[in-house]
Amino acid sequence: MKDILLIFIPTLTLVPPAVAASLAMRKISSTALEGMTRQPEIANQIFTSMLVSMALVEALVIYCLVVALMVAAKI
Amino acid sequence: MSGSIQLHLRDVVILNSLVVALVLLALAKIATLRPLKELPDGVQNAAELVLDWFVQQARRIHPRGVRTIAPFLASLFLVILLSNLLAFLPFPVLRIPPTAYYSGPLGLALVAVLGSLVISARLRGIGAGLRHLVWPNPLQLVSELSHTLSLSLRLYGNIGGELIVATLVAQVVPYGIPLIVHALGLIPAVVQPVVFTLLTANVLATALHGDGEDRRPSERSA
Repeated sequence: MKDILLIFIPTLTLVPPAVAASLAMRKISSTALEGMTRQPEIANQIFTSMLVSMALVEALVIYCLVVALMVAAKI
Repeated sequence: MSGSIQLHLRDVVILNSLVVALVLLALAKIATLRPLKELPDGVQNAAELVLDWFVQQARRIHPRGVRTIAPFLASLFLVILLSNLLAFLPFPVLRIPPTAYYSGPLGLALVAVLGSLVISARLRGIGAGLRHLVWPNPLQLVSELSHTLSLSLRLYGNIGGELIVATLVAQVVPYGIPLIVHALGLIPAVVQPVVFTLLTANVLATALHGDGEDRRPSERSA
């Protein structure tokens, strides 16, 4: 029972946020690439903003990763 | 992640941070060994190339405080970059990056947030520098705390998570595949310092201009 919990609880904590974040990142990267190809002269600025927004999205998944690690340590 | 490493975790974090600091000091000494020239070449050229990006960032945040802000951002960036790149060294203890355990990133994030408070106090005076914590909204104190938490957790999750994934993969398939996972780890190792520095610059800009004072239209793009 403990092994099953150990497998499933961290997985279920991580998978939905990962799916949501990948959808959000798809939107961010496709929009940023579109902007970069339309206006190559400000591509650097767009790339920097893209990195920051991706980091903000990614942070939410990392909170879930930390929670998953804490849960896995508790079981 | 074996038992013996867990035991000496604190020592490894401290040791590797010291190694990173010493390497950076040595690099800085090498870069400024010869007298600086008007037309840079060789090592000086490389050093100026590294510094240029931070000077641009600092100029965008606060045109008069470049000499205070640029070294702050640059040293954060270089320390994090070098710590992350330790993971790619083939030596037993040295290959554990200090940013892969929570104490390392937490220390760096505390330095970033408290340092931005100190810089804003130095550039605008103590009263005005600390006023943005409680004015116009006292909840900004909480936001400052959450900045620390989010900066440190982001760095820790990226680098530590990468290390955990690499360890787990190496347990399942010991040959070949871990190399690919490790090579993919280069991406967060290089991107995370950039992100950390940019977000610190954001925190600093909020600390300097947060209450809407002391801001000219030319600085508004920051």
